[in-house]
Amino acid sequence: MFSFGTLLSGLSIGSILLLVALGLAIIYGTMGVINLAHGDFLMIGAYATWYLQKYWHMGLIATLPVVFIVGCIVGLVVEKTVVRYLYRRPLDTILATWGISILLEEAVNLGAGSNLKYVQLPGMLSGDWVLFGAHVGVYRILIIGIALALLIATSVLFFRTDFGLKVRAVVSNPETAEGHGVNSGLIYAATFAYGSGLAAFAGALVAPIKSVSPTMGIHYIVDAFLVVVVGGVGSLLGLFVSAGIIGEMESIIGFAIDDTTAKVIIFLAVIAIIRFRPQGLFVSKVRQPS
Amino acid sequence: MTTTGKRTLLGYVAFCGLILVLPFLLRGNSYLLNKSALYMALAMATVALSFTWGYAGILNLGQAVSFGIGAYAMAMHLKLVASAGNPGGLPDFMTWNSVGTLPLVWTPFHSLLVSVILGIGVSVLVSTLIGWFIFRARISGVFVAIITLALLVVVNLVVVTEQGLTAGWNGITNLADVTVGGVDIGSYGFGFYYLVGITLVVVLLLGWYATRTKTGLVLRAINSNTQRARYLGYDVAAYETFAYASSAGVAAIAGMYYAVGNSFASPTFMAVPFSLSIVIWCAVGGRRSLIAAAIGALVVNAIQGALSSDLLDVSNLVIGALFVIIVLFLPEGIVPEIGGAFRRIWTSLVGYSGARPHTPKERMPGQGTSKFTGGQK
Amino acid sequence: MKRRTVLKGIAGGTVSLAAAPTLLASTYGTAYAAEDEIKVGVLFPLSGTIAVIGRSLHNATMLAIDEINANGGISGKKIKPIVRDSQSSPAVYADKIKELILQQKVLTTFGGYTSASRKAVLPVVEKYNSLYWYPTLYEGDECSKNIMYTGAVPNQQQEQFVPWLIKNFGKRFYLLGSNYIYPKDENRICKALLKKYGGEVVAEEYVPLGHSEFSSNINKMRSLRPDVIFCTVVGDSVIALHRQYKTAGLDPSKMPFASLTTSEEEVSAMGGEYAAGHFTSAPYFMSADTPTNHKFVAAYQKKYGADKVTNFVSSASYFQVFLFQKGVEKLLSQGHGVGDLTPINIRNACLGEQVHAPQGVVKLDPKNQHTYLWPKIGQWQKDGQAKVIHESKKWVEPKPYWMYPGNRVCTPSGVKTEKS
Repeated sequence: MFSFGTLLSGLSIGSILLLVALGLAIIYGTMGVINLAHGDFLMIGAYATWYLQKYWHMGLIATLPVVFIVGCIVGLVVEKTVVRYLYRRPLDTILATWGISILLEEAVNLGAGSNLKYVQLPGMLSGDWVLFGAHVGVYRILIIGIALALLIATSVLFFRTDFGLKVRAVVSNPETAEGHGVNSGLIYAATFAYGSGLAAFAGALVAPIKSVSPTMGIHYIVDAFLVVVVGGVGSLLGLFVSAGIIGEMESIIGFAIDDTTAKVIIFLAVIAIIRFRPQGLFVSKVRQPS
Repeated sequence: MTTTGKRTLLGYVAFCGLILVLPFLLRGNSYLLNKSALYMALAMATVALSFTWGYAGILNLGQAVSFGIGAYAMAMHLKLVASAGNPGGLPDFMTWNSVGTLPLVWTPFHSLLVSVILGIGVSVLVSTLIGWFIFRARISGVFVAIITLALLVVVNLVVVTEQGLTAGWNGITNLADVTVGGVDIGSYGFGFYYLVGITLVVVLLLGWYATRTKTGLVLRAINSNTQRARYLGYDVAAYETFAYASSAGVAAIAGMYYAVGNSFASPTFMAVPFSLSIVIWCAVGGRRSLIAAAIGALVVNAIQGALSSDLLDVSNLVIGALFVIIVLFLPEGIVPEIGGAFRRIWTSLVGYSGARPHTPKERMPGQGTSKFTGGQK
Repeated sequence: MKRRTVLKGIAGGTVSLAAAPTLLASTYGTAYAAEDEIKVGVLFPLSGTIAVIGRSLHNATMLAIDEINANGGISGKKIKPIVRDSQSSPAVYADKIKELILQQKVLTTFGGYTSASRKAVLPVVEKYNSLYWYPTLYEGDECSKNIMYTGAVPNQQQEQFVPWLIKNFGKRFYLLGSNYIYPKDENRICKALLKKYGGEVVAEEYVPLGHSEFSSNINKMRSLRPDVIFCTVVGDSVIALHRQYKTAGLDPSKMPFASLTTSEEEVSAMGGEYAAGHFTSAPYFMSADTPTNHKFVAAYQKKYGADKVTNFVSSASYFQVFLFQKGVEKLLSQGHGVGDLTPINIRNACLGEQVHAPQGVVKLDPKNQHTYLWPKIGQWQKDGQAKVIHESKKWVEPKPYWMYPGNRVCTPSGVKTEKS
């Protein structure tokens, strides 16, 4: 049950969770926006990859930066037209982003059709390695690596750069930050765009091993949310630990019993955690407004 | 009663009148009568949500759980009635799932009365427990929404997996008609329509009355400033749990009607998109007003029903766009905004709104000028 | 302040304007059919998790209708299709079929993929005595007088398949299916067959519909080492499963998927190289070398795109319309007018009819309203087509109650228990 193979699968599942949840965590942690359309930004990323592959004949890796930018643009549009007006109304952002989610799904459904799309994996990535007697797909290892790299890059971005400093200032106290010359509207827009770009990027990465359909987002959004909330709002370390724990639980329980029981147990555990420790496992390093 | 109170009552009377008269407008078309009854059941669930959300400020994203419990309770009863001729009285899906004898959980549902009581009772009990769990820890706002959503997902997963008990993803189909005292109510005639319609009217009136009592006032106080309500000595968790549980009971009744009207109970009645749809209807109509929520549910469903018949794919686009527009520009919902617009037109035309100045002894609960009022009815 | 009011007015006004005509429209309903039109319902999933294959069924049905209408219709009367999207949801199916029968007054409906959808539709078509044509392979154990079943039942899919698999690969089977009635019943039959032919079940698992994370199942496959993975997973999950199988480095020549559901549609979505080496048992493959099939595929690709594929369920959706045509033609030639047509006398006229289907000649069995079909076993190739490596020499009679307890048979007067 605790074979290395199961543990590796857990890391793989956790890394996908981390990828999806990272963008969500950024947006939620910075602006308190619960973006129910996050799963659909992921879906758009997957479709963008498919489109680039099919009509522009780009390889998977080449599409990644383009898809990131596409995600940023879509996020920017959504922020400027809808989300911007709802910053002080967190419950309303849930509703509005759900409406956007419906719109995006329907738009893709009408535009690209509802039948599944096929995203190709480059040949050299579709094999498998044997590590300590356990087989693991090369591509899955790549995803784990990319997820970690993105996490580190995001940490650097938010804690070591000027931009990150501005973001943290705006999160703690928007009025004071503005008083220091920080354009909070711009910061919010940029952060939302970054989070959406991450979602699209994640979509492009998972597309080859899952299935690409207009409703693929739903499967990820609830899981991603739980990861964020368990990890603790505003804590990237918490996100990392939370994704890892949930991924491993899913793999181990899924192997020992079955996937559905795994999901039920995980959800109940998360509900308990939220109830007894709503701030999450780790406390944010950024001072939150009270 | 104040003018505002009078106007609201007038609105309620008009609404009830419309419900009573509609079957004749529809010329007794059985398909449309059935559809209208179903929409009214959905409106009932929406009204219940408005009570917790608009008044108490609890965004319950898992309203579908209570709705589904009611639906399945009724479906289990009707399925047993329909399976009376089978060997052992076993429903067909149990035979398909190699279940040998009727599970213990199913046995009470042979009786209609017990099924109704259980449907409402289990729903209320479950939400009381959940409410206790959440509200005692002073969880509020966004976290309530997340927890209720997660619970919905769990319940849905369990129902879909336990195929021997619940027929899983297929849902419980092939139900008998409801017979009360030997009379077949059926779901396509005037009888069923009026049954649902009258229940909706009763729910609305009871809800309206509840909001005008002290409990309603306290709930609104909790919504506008929870800390202050606590300092004033009110047991906030108890009031919130009460709102949550009573809403669940009404939603369960709505679910029962829905199962009868569809002759079917499906896990989609307990799924995320459906639950969020209830929230959408409530927001579109007007979350702070019970009757506005009902109107919202009826109008959106009517539009969706009509659109998806004619133009294949556009209905979802319209609903999504509508929802975003409402949240952005008409956050109180359509009904209050339209009502407000009419009042402004009336005032500018006539010169006065007909309201008399309030003297202190005429002040009714809910009519104060302070922040204790959460807005209009 | 003023701009807000204007915007609110526009929003409110738009909504009211949208509401008014739609409410009016639904009040007046639809008039009865014109005298020279044959109204049929077309109800397939065009969105949702089953849309991957649902679209092809819808397309094939419309192709057949267009071809019939282009040739002058049925005895001069055109077919008028009323199309609805079932959204992969049994609840929506139940709702739409009610609308089609009661409101649109269709004479028959073509539709359905999952057994869940059929079970939801069945009470409605039986209550209103309408006729439903169901083109999809399913688990049997049913024979409604109001449904025409043109898809394969287990004795047309598993009876040759399972012994062949045991002989060529081995006795140890891992049963993996989606979590609803169809896979469960098929697995029950598979287990009975395994018992009969000396096989064994090493694991039996069900995943939710739409599920796409198969790591733990693949880990189990690695540790248990079955000879065959008997696969009744449907919809989106098929693609994820096959892709994850290959990227995990597993080998189809030693541990193949043996599927009752994977078709050209899913294979084209996942990519030929992910399907290569696995097997499907079905009465039809796109690679079939018959003149009717070549015509069908050519017409389908001309209308929908050269990259489109046909599959065993879409070919059934196609040929069943022609069976319908035969029945109606018979009635009309006997002097009935369109106004005299009812779903039930159409059904009676269709029973026993034959057509040239893309797979060969097929016949509607009057005893049980199922269809005589030609079972085959195909192995998927890298190009996305199946190579037929075993096929039945004659058509096989459908036996919906085969391998079910109780020794039942379907007769024109209902289900009877045979004394054996």
